[in-house]
Amino acid sequence: MKEGKTTHFGYQQVPVEEKAGRVAEVFHSVAARYDVMNDLMSGGIHRLWKRFTIELSGARPGQTILDIAGGTGDLTARFSRIVGPEGTVLLADINESMLKVGRDRLLDRGIAGNVFPVQADAQYLPFPDDTFDCVTIAFGLRNVTDKDLALRSMLRTLKPGGRLLVLEFSKPQSKLLEKVYDQYSFRLLPVMGKLVANDADSYRYLAESIRMHPDQETLKQMMEDAGFVDCEYHNMTGGIVALHKGIKP
Amino acid sequence: MTDPTFRTGFDAALETAINTALQYDPATRARLQKLDGKVLELDLTSPKMTFCLGVEGERVCLYRHWEGQISTRLSGSAVALVRLLRDSSATPAGVGVGVNGSSALLAELQAIMRDLDIDWEAPLAQLVGDVPAHAVGEALRTLSSWLRDGFSRAPAAAAEAVSEEWRLTPPQAQFEAFAEDLRALSLATERLEARVNLLKEKFSQRGAE
Repeated sequence: MKEGKTTHFGYQQVPVEEKAGRVAEVFHSVAARYDVMNDLMSGGIHRLWKRFTIELSGARPGQTILDIAGGTGDLTARFSRIVGPEGTVLLADINESMLKVGRDRLLDRGIAGNVFPVQADAQYLPFPDDTFDCVTIAFGLRNVTDKDLALRSMLRTLKPGGRLLVLEFSKPQSKLLEKVYDQYSFRLLPVMGKLVANDADSYRYLAESIRMHPDQETLKQMMEDAGFVDCEYHNMTGGIVALHKGIKP
Repeated sequence: MTDPTFRTGFDAALETAINTALQYDPATRARLQKLDGKVLELDLTSPKMTFCLGVEGERVCLYRHWEGQISTRLSGSAVALVRLLRDSSATPAGVGVGVNGSSALLAELQAIMRDLDIDWEAPLAQLVGDVPAHAVGEALRTLSSWLRDGFSRAPAAAAEAVSEEWRLTPPQAQFEAFAEDLRALSLATERLEARVNLLKEKFSQRGAE
């Protein structure tokens, strides 16, 4: 009999083939209130983290950009304005509910024409080699079952010289901040999830998945192992979030 | 290195403030459209800070990182840069600002800043109505005019009070008369000294004979 491989889902160990389905359940559950909760949980700071990501993307008019785990389309909206009518932005998400919310939200804001929603798995991106000038994944990598596979898939679809930006929760750089952050994540966050989205479990998973995500140096090493060069990261808000950047050689 | 969150927050707040103000000046927004895609880099020496100011349609955008083409690069202190943009008679060399790249963008921005006319009453009118907003606007304009007038006369008034009222320094006319007398005395002393020297020479020559 074949030995079943497991992976983490928050603090639990689950069979590898089950993780994607369980992550999907979480995001189906939170999709409708995702925006409100993001603002509430981060005090609106997630907009600054995303703004910094856009600046470091170096996006230009006419470029082709892939926004993986694009969620409700915050990065896509900004990229759409930057690349202009000659450029293209693909809003990709594995989760149908999140993608629908993102697509509707973009249309409601009049953002269309150069934006195309695609339901896609970051591990097996359904695009030809050397397609994108820039690939971003914001708050999505930690939910991917095989992160190394996903990084290699992103590298494959990037044009030579193209850049990958990974915006993700990371490890706070001060012990005091880490303690405060732990209290917030495990005590306050599930309560907020219960009150606002009526779903404490999903927000408990979000907090746990952040702790299970590789820290700054480990993720940088993973990017280098996948084949990216000139890898670097910027800690934001004391390391609660880090933005990793890598270039396809 | 400072946390990018703070700097990004500062840029975002400043950008929002600029664009909110521009909402109430349609003429400036229309002129900005002509500069669409242009980017100005401001390299401030005090406070030490660099940022890029780009125009996207009718909006002004601030960037900390900009990897595209920069139309014009200005370097100098924040005060000097503001003076250069606000004062039509100011020249880059005159206020100590270095310019690299196209000076046409700088000239256009100077013209835009000179003609900036933000209708501050409009947002207030949306909150409290037209008549109260106009009354507040009038009061603020009067106060602003009074303050501007007061500040322009302040140095002269202070000098007058110090010399005429408190008698801490002599009045200007008295000081000038004293200075004139001093100059005349100095000249007379020099002339006297020259004559004495001349006489000394004559006496020493006769003694030698």
